[in-house]
Amino acid sequence: MRQFFPVEDLARDERFVQTNMAERLADTRTARPERVPKSKSRAASAKLTPDRREASDAARGLMHGIMTGEIQALEGAGRTAHDFAAGDGTNDTIPFELKLDMARQAWDEARHVEISAKLSDWMGTELGEFAENTVLFSAACSDDPVLRLAGVNRALEGLAIDVFTQMKEFGDLAGDPFLEFCEDWMLADEVTHVKMGSDWLRKVTANDPDRRAKALEFQRVVDKLFSFGGLRGDSDESPIALARRFRELAGFSDDEVEVISEMDRDALEERKAQVQLAQEAAGLQPEPV
Amino acid sequence: MSEAVSTSTEASAVADFESGKVTVSPGDFRLVKFDGQQICDVVAEMAELVGIPNPIRIVVDETTPLARLLSELDGTSSDAQITIRAESGALEDTRRPTVFDHDRTATSIGRMLLRARDRMRPDFADVEPDIELSVEALAAWDAYSAGRLAQLGRPINQQRWLYNYRNRFGFSDDTDAAFERLWVADDIGWPDVMNP
Repeated sequence: MRQFFPVEDLARDERFVQTNMAERLADTRTARPERVPKSKSRAASAKLTPDRREASDAARGLMHGIMTGEIQALEGAGRTAHDFAAGDGTNDTIPFELKLDMARQAWDEARHVEISAKLSDWMGTELGEFAENTVLFSAACSDDPVLRLAGVNRALEGLAIDVFTQMKEFGDLAGDPFLEFCEDWMLADEVTHVKMGSDWLRKVTANDPDRRAKALEFQRVVDKLFSFGGLRGDSDESPIALARRFRELAGFSDDEVEVISEMDRDALEERKAQVQLAQEAAGLQPEPV
Repeated sequence: MSEAVSTSTEASAVADFESGKVTVSPGDFRLVKFDGQQICDVVAEMAELVGIPNPIRIVVDETTPLARLLSELDGTSSDAQITIRAESGALEDTRRPTVFDHDRTATSIGRMLLRARDRMRPDFADVEPDIELSVEALAAWDAYSAGRLAQLGRPINQQRWLYNYRNRFGFSDDTDAAFERLWVADDIGWPDVMNP
């Protein structure tokens, strides 16, 4: 079977339309909080909560993003289990036990795909209704398995922890029993996946500090990408909050979470400046974002 | 087809686009791949479908990908102008952001035209302006409007509107029964929309 599968060759049927971060960032509109009378809104915060006017459609879009993310996470874990020979972790090999963990993760992700597809149906979303951003699988294409652990298990699955926590809370507030239950169940798996990544990254690089540093640097790059221009972060302007407690359970140190929070803030400010410039260049007069 | 000076809020004056009784503002889009004629065509198609002869003005906010819609009416006669304010996400292809989508636009505009038509009825006279409506009122009105579009033959995903209705009124059998009554209704007043 073929090894090292590029993102362009992912198998999808005609329902799915793929996009990437470059295309996404080229869209210089901004999703600022709704402008309605203060008495009718919680407009001081952009957090995705059921009382927002656009909440149902925003939740549908996010759920679809979760589903396509799960498909790519399945593909990424499966690739890592297959792409590298079993060995001691040097010379492009990975420990056999790491392969087993990746196989287990692929099994988890396959269930998550099924759950997410059924949740999407429950929420009135058709498969492929929204664009599929392939940035997640891109992080799983490195030639170095340790970089994949950093990019996929720690950065990508870390984002999944944040998103699932937000969606679980959304389901709880809306009184949606299926959404809350399913997100809680998947969240437990994601914490495990991040912990696996953290543990294996330490083990495999125990005698190779340069490789570990390179992996952590790659993780920072991916984490900033996965902030999606401040979509995720501690700021009230970010719809998805940083799930600090669950990240702690998954093996992130306080310092690591703080670094991610700062990157989210930077990404948000950079995005706001980019949008402002683009809209002014287009001759429009954007409201302060 | 003619062009007139825009009254939209953009910094540079961009001519509106006019076709028949429909005006689109701005007439020239910079951040999205929309075309005034395409929008006019869909609006005219939907106005004919729901039976509205009034002049219609569409004001698109292309600076946001959100999809909020507002419908305003400057009177209740057949020549009263209907103004629909749409954030660009309400008219775009969700698979291809910034690209215009006929079906999504038809559903968005159709709902707003039905809302405007409702406001011409005496039993909707006391309803607050769209911008002041609660999320519950909007969900109920959207369910009633989307249901009527489905009755008129438009392809509508009923589950999407049921999910929105449940988010506002609770996840229960009573809520689902109320939604079903709204979905099949076609000639009810505001009190029945809120308490179907």
